[in-house]
Amino acid sequence: MKTGLMTTSATARISRRDVLRAGAAMGLTLPLGLQPAMAQAGDTLRVGFISPITGPLAGFGKTDGYVLEQARAALASGLAIGGKTYAVEILDRDTQSNPSIAGQLAKDLIDNEAVDLMLAISTPETINPVSDACEAAGVPCLSTVMPWEAWYFGRGAEPGKLSPFKWSFHFGFGVDEFYRAYVSQWGLIETNKKVGVMYPNDADGNAIRAVLAPKLAEAGYTIVDPGPYETGTADYSAQIALFRQEGVEIFNSFPIPPDFAAFWRQAAQQGLHKQIKIVQVAKTGLFPSDIEALGELGVNIASAAYWHRDFPYSSPLTGLDGKGLAAGYEAASGQQWTQQLGATMSLLDAGFEALKASADPKSKEAVATAIAGLQTVTMIGKVDFTAGPVANVSPGPIIGAQWVKAAEGAGFPLDYVVTENATDPAVPVAAKLQPYNA
Amino acid sequence: MTASAPDMRVDRSTKATRIGLWAMLAVALLLAVAPWYAGAGVINRLTALCVYVLLAAMWNALAGYGGLVSIGQQMFFGLGAYATIRLSEAGVDPFVAVALAGLAVALLSWPVSLVMLRLRGGEFAIGMWVLASVSHLLVNLDPLIQGETGRSLVALNAYDTETRRLMVFWMALLAMLLVLGLLAALLRSRLGLAIQAIRDNEEAAGSLGVDAFRTKQVIFVLSAFGIGLAGAIWLASATSFQPKTYFSVQWTAYMIFMVLVGGIGRFEGAILGACLFFLIETWFAATGVWYLIGLGATAMVFSLYLPKGAWGAIGLRLLPFGYSVTQGNGDRT
Repeated sequence: MKTGLMTTSATARISRRDVLRAGAAMGLTLPLGLQPAMAQAGDTLRVGFISPITGPLAGFGKTDGYVLEQARAALASGLAIGGKTYAVEILDRDTQSNPSIAGQLAKDLIDNEAVDLMLAISTPETINPVSDACEAAGVPCLSTVMPWEAWYFGRGAEPGKLSPFKWSFHFGFGVDEFYRAYVSQWGLIETNKKVGVMYPNDADGNAIRAVLAPKLAEAGYTIVDPGPYETGTADYSAQIALFRQEGVEIFNSFPIPPDFAAFWRQAAQQGLHKQIKIVQVAKTGLFPSDIEALGELGVNIASAAYWHRDFPYSSPLTGLDGKGLAAGYEAASGQQWTQQLGATMSLLDAGFEALKASADPKSKEAVATAIAGLQTVTMIGKVDFTAGPVANVSPGPIIGAQWVKAAEGAGFPLDYVVTENATDPAVPVAAKLQPYNA
Repeated sequence: MTASAPDMRVDRSTKATRIGLWAMLAVALLLAVAPWYAGAGVINRLTALCVYVLLAAMWNALAGYGGLVSIGQQMFFGLGAYATIRLSEAGVDPFVAVALAGLAVALLSWPVSLVMLRLRGGEFAIGMWVLASVSHLLVNLDPLIQGETGRSLVALNAYDTETRRLMVFWMALLAMLLVLGLLAALLRSRLGLAIQAIRDNEEAAGSLGVDAFRTKQVIFVLSAFGIGLAGAIWLASATSFQPKTYFSVQWTAYMIFMVLVGGIGRFEGAILGACLFFLIETWFAATGVWYLIGLGATAMVFSLYLPKGAWGAIGLRLLPFGYSVTQGNGDRT
C-alpha cells in the first residue's frame, strides 16, 4: 500500500478509532464473504493460474488439471531460491471462456489472494484481460498460446514506439512463425499456389490478415480473400463459390472450431473439398476432438502445432520429456494427448524459472525484472525475453503437422504427425505431407 | 398533505420513508469512505456493486415505470465503453472520457428514441436487440477496434494502482448516486406521474393530455445515459475492451434478473435486486454452469410465485415515491 489512505500505519498505537475502523471493516466484509488479503507468511509463494476450463474454449483447458497435478507434485517439497526454500501454492481458476470473468478472476487473485506471479494461458479472450488487470495492479504476469501480435498491438501498443507494458510478458508463436511454417509446409506438395483464405473479424484473424497474407503474396502465393467474416456465420455459400471459381488448391483459415465445422461441411456439400490439396487450419484442428467431430472429412487436415510430443525438450520444473508427459496423460485420463499439454507445462516452467532467477521472489519488481531478462529452455523450447521482436515478447516455434489415420491398434482413430520444422529444426520430421484430396 | 376525510391522511413521506431516506444517506456515506476501512479487493467488488445498481435501476426505470421492455440495453453499455476508448485515444484524460462517454451515449440515444419508441411491446424489445447487434458490428468495423481484437484503455497506465482503484470506485459511486437522484427527481415530478400513467394505459393517459411520446423519450434517454455511464466505468475498472464482452446480451439478462427478483416498478426493488445478484455472484459464480442454471431457476420461481419481486413481498415503502393513505387509527390502506 503506497498511500496512507488505505491502511493505518502499523507502527501507530491502536486507538479507539482504529478499533472502530476495524469493526466497520469486518461488518462490511464479513457479510460479503470477502476478507481483505491476509498478510502472507514470507515463505510461501503464491502463483495464480488462469485458463479456460469450461465454455467454448474448454478444449484448451481440458489437460490443465493433469499438468497442474504434475507441477504440484514437483513442488510439493518447496522451491529453493537463493538458499531459502519457499512453499508454493498454485491457485488455478476457470474463466468459463468469458473475458469479463477472466479479468475479474485476475483482480480477485491479486487483491484477495495476494499472488506473487500470474500465469495466463490460451487465447486472447483469456490472456488480454488478465494481462491488463496485472498491468493495472503492478503484478508480474506471464502468458502463452496466442499470436503475440494480437497480445501486444491488440492492447494498445504502437509499432515503432516503446512498449507501454511494465508488468505483462508473453512468449510463443507470432505471425512470422506461421509464415515460415506455411511456406515450408506448402512447398511439400505441387499446387497452383492459389490460396483461399477465411480470416474472421477477430483478434487472430485481423493480425493474420494484416501481416501474414501480404508476406505469403510476396512468397509467390495468390491470396483469394473473400473478406473478414463474423464468427457464428451460418451460410458460407458466397465464399465457397468464390473459391471454386478461382480454383484454389490450398485453403487456410483461423476459425473457432464450430465455424470451421460449419464451413467445411458446406464446402463438402458443394464439392469444394475435391479440388483442395492442402487444408491448413489454425485455432481449430489443434486437438483430436476437433478433427474427430468432422468424421471422414477430418482426415489429412493439416494444422500447425505450438508443441508436439516429439519436441526434443524436457521440463525443467518436472523433469518430464515430451513423450513422458503425453504418455502419462494418456494413462491417467484414457484420452489422446494434445499439444496443449506441452504449452501449459512450458508456462509453468518459464514462470518458476523466472521466480528462481529473481533476486527476491516476494518482490514484484524483482520478478518482473527477472522475466524481462529470462533466458531458459522449457517444454516448448527456448524462451528468451532479451532478444524478442519487441519488448515484453519472446517468440516461439510453430511446427507444421497433419492429422492422419492412425495405424491399426493405436488406440485412437487419428494420429498427429510432424511434417516440417522450419521454425525449430531440432524437432524431428516424422512423415511426408499427404494431399487432402488424394 | 391534503386530508380527504377527518380521519384519513394522504402523505408523501411516512415515518418509514423518513427512516429509509436517512438510512440510504448513511449507506451512501459509509460507501464513500469505504477506502479508509476496506481492502483493495472489497473496493473492486463494491465498484461492481455500484455498476449493478446502476444497471438495475435503469432497466427498472424503462420497464417498471415506462412499460418499455428492452432486451437490447447492452447496446448502451457497449457504446459507453467504446466512446471512452475513442475519447481517450483522442487525447482526453481517461477519467474525463468516462464521464463524457455517458453524455455521448445519452446524446446518441435521442435520435434512436425517435425511431424505436414508435414500436410497441415485443416489436420494441426485439428491435432494441437488433439495434444492439448492429451497433456491435459497426464498432467491430472501426479500424482502431479491429473486430473482436478490441483495445485496452492504456492511457490508464499513467495512473498508479491505488489512484486508479479509488478514482474508479468513487466515479462508480458518484455515478450511481447521481443517476438514482435524477431518477428520483424525475419520478416525483409531474413527468413521473405521466410515466406511470402511460405504463398503466397509454391511450387513457393520452386522453388526459399526457404527451406519451415525449414522456417515454425522457425515460429512454435517462436509461441510456445511466447504462452508458455503467459501461464506461466497467471499462475503466477492467481496462480491456473486447466488443463481444460489452455488447453481450448477458448484461441485459442480468438487468432483467435483478429487476425481476428485486421487484419491478419499485425504486427500492431494483437496488435490492442488484444487491441480491451481487451476493449470489460473489458466493456462487465459481460453480460455473450451475451458477447460471441457478440464476435462471431463481428468476423463474420469482416470476411465477413472487411476480412483484422480493421488495413487493416485503411491501414496505422506504422511499418517498407515490402517496400513502393513512387512516386515523394508523392502518395503511
